[in-house]
Amino acid sequence: METAQLNLEPATDIQHDNRYYLNMGPQHPSTHGVLRVLLEMDGEYILDPQPVLGYGHRMHEKMAEHKNWMAFMPNTGRMDYAAALPYNHGFVSLFERLCGIEVPERAEYIRVITSELNRLVSHHLWLGAFLLDLGAFTPILYTFIDREKVLDILEDITGSRLTYCYFRVGGVCKDIDDKFVTRTREFIKYQRERFDVYNKLVTGNIIFLKRVEGVGVISKDMALRYGVTGPVARGSGINYDVRKNEPYSVYPRFDFEIPLGENGDSLDRYMVRLNEMEQSLRIIEQALDQLPAGPFLGKVPKKLKMPVGDSSFAVEAARGELTYYMVSGGGDIPYRLKIRVPSYSNLSILPELGQGILLSDLVTAMGSLDLVIPEIDR
Amino acid sequence: MPPELLRMIIAAVLVVSFVFLNAMVLGYMERKVSAHIQRRPGLMEVGPHGVLQLIIDGLKLIGKQLVVPEGSNKFLFRLAPLLSFAPCVLPFVVIPFSRKLQIVSMDVSLIFILAMTSINVVAILVAGWASNNKYSLFGTFRSVAQAVSYEIPMLLSLLSIILMTSTFSLQGIIAAQKYYWFILVQPLAFIIYFISGLAETNRAPFDLPEAESELTAGFHTEYSGMGFSFFFLAEYANMFTVCSIATILFLGGWKGIPLPLGDFTGIVWFMLKVYGLLFVMIWARWTYPRVRFDQLMSFCWKYLIPFALANLLITAVVVKLI
Amino acid sequence: MHPATEKLVSDLKGKNFTLAACDYAERGYHFEIDLAADRLREFAQCLLEQEMYLVFVGGLHVEPAIEVIYQFASYDRPCRVVLRVAVDNNNAIPTISDIYQGANWHERETRDFFGVTFTGHPNPVPLILAEEDVDLKPLLKTDANLKESAALRWVRVEEQPETDEKADKD
Repeated sequence: METAQLNLEPATDIQHDNRYYLNMGPQHPSTHGVLRVLLEMDGEYILDPQPVLGYGHRMHEKMAEHKNWMAFMPNTGRMDYAAALPYNHGFVSLFERLCGIEVPERAEYIRVITSELNRLVSHHLWLGAFLLDLGAFTPILYTFIDREKVLDILEDITGSRLTYCYFRVGGVCKDIDDKFVTRTREFIKYQRERFDVYNKLVTGNIIFLKRVEGVGVISKDMALRYGVTGPVARGSGINYDVRKNEPYSVYPRFDFEIPLGENGDSLDRYMVRLNEMEQSLRIIEQALDQLPAGPFLGKVPKKLKMPVGDSSFAVEAARGELTYYMVSGGGDIPYRLKIRVPSYSNLSILPELGQGILLSDLVTAMGSLDLVIPEIDR
Repeated sequence: MPPELLRMIIAAVLVVSFVFLNAMVLGYMERKVSAHIQRRPGLMEVGPHGVLQLIIDGLKLIGKQLVVPEGSNKFLFRLAPLLSFAPCVLPFVVIPFSRKLQIVSMDVSLIFILAMTSINVVAILVAGWASNNKYSLFGTFRSVAQAVSYEIPMLLSLLSIILMTSTFSLQGIIAAQKYYWFILVQPLAFIIYFISGLAETNRAPFDLPEAESELTAGFHTEYSGMGFSFFFLAEYANMFTVCSIATILFLGGWKGIPLPLGDFTGIVWFMLKVYGLLFVMIWARWTYPRVRFDQLMSFCWKYLIPFALANLLITAVVVKLI
Repeated sequence: MHPATEKLVSDLKGKNFTLAACDYAERGYHFEIDLAADRLREFAQCLLEQEMYLVFVGGLHVEPAIEVIYQFASYDRPCRVVLRVAVDNNNAIPTISDIYQGANWHERETRDFFGVTFTGHPNPVPLILAEEDVDLKPLLKTDANLKESAALRWVRVEEQPETDEKADKD
């Protein structure tokens, strides 16, 4: 084992005499994809967990330097496969801001509705997978029933179920119809009833509460030092949501709350995400009420000419702040595109978070971070 | 051939085939019940409603290669599944399925059953140790600690019944429940026994030795083919044994409302009660998350054992007074 | 301007760091600053004290030297700071991973992609790329594509080409 290279120097402490290494992943049921965590352990206690990344690395940033925006568009949907639409959103908005392209209002509403549906789907997936990590097999099938309903709705208009490439610079590629609106409204009603089921099945369960309370506590200071964002930061009581903080699209027009936790433990992160699902429903509901008529795709020059220089665009993806930072040398191909993915910073907290906790707690803590590994590896 | 020998051969064949049949029925039941709990159809492909699926699965497992990992202790690795399977067959020899259907009637049947079910721990220990796999070893640590701890409240809860009946004979205990089931007078003992039984058989929410999300598959991570299926058979046989003890000691065994089935009435009632309890076990598994290891231990030592002791004490006092 | 942001600007000015304001509506961040490598750690320390978190660390291959780009932002107000630091002759730059622990992985990634050495990094091993690909440095430009740092600074193109009617059929 390449211990020296991973800087796991033997502990000099005599208590840690019995330590050994355990390889969790890359094929392990609770690492959700191809993450490997090299654990230095003493009995069931973890002394030092070191994630080993890169199994799903595709070098999207390099690809971006060789393609114009249209050709790179599908790549944006392939980083965070669980919530691809916010990635679409950030990418097209970056270009629109740079090139000063007007987006029709209807298109912005459609973007918000679909993005929020996508966030909902992502939280469904997380809820099921998190409970699976805790050893409860059934909730994932319940959340997948609900997830399927949203995916069916989204499939109708976007043409795909997972790796969306639906937004275009200047709008979206296909208009939504009345059928979409009715189905979405029906779904909102249905989903509200389902929260009771989740709460009865999971939230009130004493075993569940005992497993998550006080596990994986992230303090505000820790979150700041690691640049943690999204529901993980909000679980620690940090009132930070790009949708409120640096409003983009038509988000300022909607009335929604940012759920916050207090202690920063896994339970808080769970509650934050569960409440976020309800807030997403609220946003969708309002957006459907206000949905203006009009074109869904604005007038866009055939070949975008970007100004020289750098610019940045941040959106709130399902897992936290997603920032595209582009340096352009003119022309329609970026000179450099840096993609800041939320899970990357959220996972980098693990070596500190996992020190001295039990293996079972590490699994819980990792599950509560809601990781999507292809997003981290890019 | 002396008739006694013939009887034993027939009994051995019957018992082993019952263990296989039980695994098949339970396997099917578990997959169907879990499917319906999870709102999906479950097995549907092989035979009507997939009833033949388990036969196909069995054939598949027999046909599979038994991979022996490198660096393992090959003898112990192969021995462990047999060590797990053999003792779990033996309790069926003394279980009274009805008034007449009991292969051997011993005065110490209960002790015999408890002794046999305890051997399973040794098998898990051997399996985990011989696999040369850290996950297996983890599963083994947990399993041994868990089984040793939970045996105490289990025995204590059974002792309170023994105090009431003054016999270790299972038929004797059933006979003592002539007017009422012991669950009515010993509800706490029943609950303690059933929880300990869940832990003893490594069932969720106490399935830590094979905690999938933490230890991949725990002690049987490295086992494939028949090696795995022996553990599988043993697990289901142990579940059956635990539930049949609960049935005999607390639910009146084979006694029940007379049915127009002649001598079969006892068997039907017995099986109904046992499979009812097994259903509860399956139900719990597909509903609850898994507890953490330290919680498992503190639950046993801080709650189950004191309550079992208190229950035993009260029972002793009451029995003495009456 | 948010009072905390004003305080940030004046505090940094007191330490001789001058933030240049940018138009957020055009560029998506509020301040930019270029620094020499030896003042990087001091600057990072100041920002941590002002409760700014690290958004990302990324590289940019330009002439004459590779630039490392840092973006910082605040949790409670819209305030983004972009910091550019050019590496020295040995492709080296001091680490800030002891100030911002989150920089640890970003710096390892930048080392993978650009070959920048972060002096003082506690664990300088490949993160995203495999260990045998350590010489790959995939984001380095070829000489033909390489541009001057000055040629990539912000210039607003005032006139966009005429809107093409067929554009949305592409």
